[in-house]
Amino acid sequence: MKTVIKTSDLSKVYTNIAVPVHALKNVNLEFREGEFTAIVGPSGSGKTTFLNVIGGLDKPTDGHVVIDGVDIATMKESKLFDFRLRHIGFVFQAYNLIPVLTAVENVSFIMLLQNQPKKEMERRAKEMLEQVGLSDKLDVRPSKLSGGQQQRVAVARALASRPDFVLADEPTANLDTESAFNLLDIMARLNKEENITLIFSTHDQRVIDRARRVITLVDGAVDKDEHFERD
Amino acid sequence: MLFILAWRNLWRKKRRTMITVSSIMFAVVLAIVLMSMVNGMKQQMVDSIISNTTGHLQIQDVMYYDEPTMDHAMEYSQEVKDAAAALGDAILYTVPRIEGFCLASKDISSRGVYLMGVLPEKEDRMNELSSRLIEGEMFSSGDDFAVIARGVAQQLDLALGDTIVLLGQGFQGMTAAGHFRVGGILGFPLPDQDNTLVYLPLKEAQTFFAAPDRLISLILMLDDPTRSDQLAERLQQKLDEEWYTVKTWEELMPDKVAAFDARDAQVRVFAWVLYIVAGFGIFGTIITMVHERLREFGILLSIGLKRSQLALVCMLETLFISAIGVIAGIVAGFPIVYWFYNNPIALSDDLADVMIDYGLEPFMSFSIASDIFFYQGLTIFIIALIVGLYPVRKAFRLDMISAARN
Ligand SMILES: Nc1ncnc2c1ncn2[C@@H]1O[C@H](COP(=O)(O)OP(=O)(O)OP(=O)(O)O)[C@@H](O)[C@H]1O
Ligand SMILES: [Mg+2]
Repeated sequence: MKTVIKTSDLSKVYTNIAVPVHALKNVNLEFREGEFTAIVGPSGSGKTTFLNVIGGLDKPTDGHVVIDGVDIATMKESKLFDFRLRHIGFVFQAYNLIPVLTAVENVSFIMLLQNQPKKEMERRAKEMLEQVGLSDKLDVRPSKLSGGQQQRVAVARALASRPDFVLADEPTANLDTESAFNLLDIMARLNKEENITLIFSTHDQRVIDRARRVITLVDGAVDKDEHFERD
Repeated sequence: MLFILAWRNLWRKKRRTMITVSSIMFAVVLAIVLMSMVNGMKQQMVDSIISNTTGHLQIQDVMYYDEPTMDHAMEYSQEVKDAAAALGDAILYTVPRIEGFCLASKDISSRGVYLMGVLPEKEDRMNELSSRLIEGEMFSSGDDFAVIARGVAQQLDLALGDTIVLLGQGFQGMTAAGHFRVGGILGFPLPDQDNTLVYLPLKEAQTFFAAPDRLISLILMLDDPTRSDQLAERLQQKLDEEWYTVKTWEELMPDKVAAFDARDAQVRVFAWVLYIVAGFGIFGTIITMVHERLREFGILLSIGLKRSQLALVCMLETLFISAIGVIAGIVAGFPIVYWFYNNPIALSDDLADVMIDYGLEPFMSFSIASDIFFYQGLTIFIIALIVGLYPVRKAFRLDMISAARN
């Protein structure tokens, strides 16, 4: 399988505070096409920092992040905006959606920024909302959706534009157990059906076993990297 | 799409949008009413100066302005008449005058008066002179009697039918002397005028001053006063500048112009205070709006919206709000100003006395000139847009990670 992301000697030191924090220490990881990976670890272990760095939202202090043959660690901000738009999908912990847009408009938003043809865009947005079980909520605004439904719209949006991979930082943190399972099941299914590489972070034991690969970070370093067979 | 985003964002917090819109609207209404009042009063004073004193333009002898004596009366020559005629419809009508100080007496009492030789029908057109008549009758051009101001009549104890004796300096050192029957008495609000003016028909006055065919000034009333400078120049070109000069009312009344300028400066300061207060009001709501939405901004930037696109959304929002506020302000301001324009505020007591002292009607008039609406609306619109640069700047500087996190 093709390598989607490759990090080498990735380090991140926060120096904007009194005592510098080594949030990432020499992380060498490879993610292959179609993988479904959970990044786990105690609070402060560097999960968010790792996702931000490989997502091009933050710069590493040292090391490389190679995506599609390009090192984004040295890329200029203006280029990164475009790179993220074309290659990476994001799901955040909360408040993912644009409040004034309906579900279907939210899902279309990325494709719209990519200047995709309108017809295809609408078709795809509806398809994705159907995939996450919200075909009856197309024209509903986020404030009328439950937390779980909002996260499902966010997942639909992240996948709709068929990015190289999707990063989700604690997507279930604000959800009740049932919604959390539901969201992870949807993510697992879409990972398979759409063959989109998915990396999510969590410290929620309940949902870890949905992943086929579990990477454990401790104090910014890779502690364990386990693969599981699941169906 | 960004357009739709901005538009919908406006109605997301209707109350706040309404507050911002109303504060802009209020500022615009206030600015319009203020400026309408100030300009209205200024116009009232300018109109009063023009109709009661100087007219729009005057042709005079070149020396007269610096040395206002009868020796510098100008010849009312064919050249002058032709020059005025050459401007055609630009000149509505001309008002010839000969005037000067002289001594008036009855029996043993005497006092200084200001004698005006006029064509009554021209004066009526310019300032409705005969409407000031309180006793007797106004002369017409062919008559030979005098009409005097009420104060002069009282001080010299002159009644209708009495004779007023005038003594003065005529053209080129000639002694001017004459006696005239008092045929009418005029009342003027301005004490200066009421206590000094004596009117004679132009012909009689010219004879009295030993200056037949001469005038002190030929007043020109224009169709379009805003062209006065340009017309003055054209007129001057047709006249021998060794003998004649053309002056605008501003040149004839430099101290009045200076007073207006000083007042305009005060008003500008006041207006700027208003603008700044309005600016801060708008700024306040915009700051809260931005801070409530920092996380949203951070997420938008993270998923791929460019900073310039986010800035555009912010700018559009401010643009919409400002445009709605300004238009609402103009729409709300117009009827207010229009009402006051048609129903000038009657001033009471002290203020009324001041106005009367200045020879004005004791009313506060408003102007409905369209440029007031345009400039006040535009100024506040620009201020709102400048304030709207704050979220734009924020869009360019925002640290998306910390914004998305909090
Ligand atoms: N912007 C920042 N400035 C300074 N230090 C930071 C910043 N972001 C994270 N850190 C520090 O870096 C370390 C790793 O933080 P990070 O948020 O990546 O951990 P995490 O595994 O995501 O934790 P959590 O499970 O609580 O979300 C922590 O010690 C944290 O305090
Ligand atoms: Mg985290």
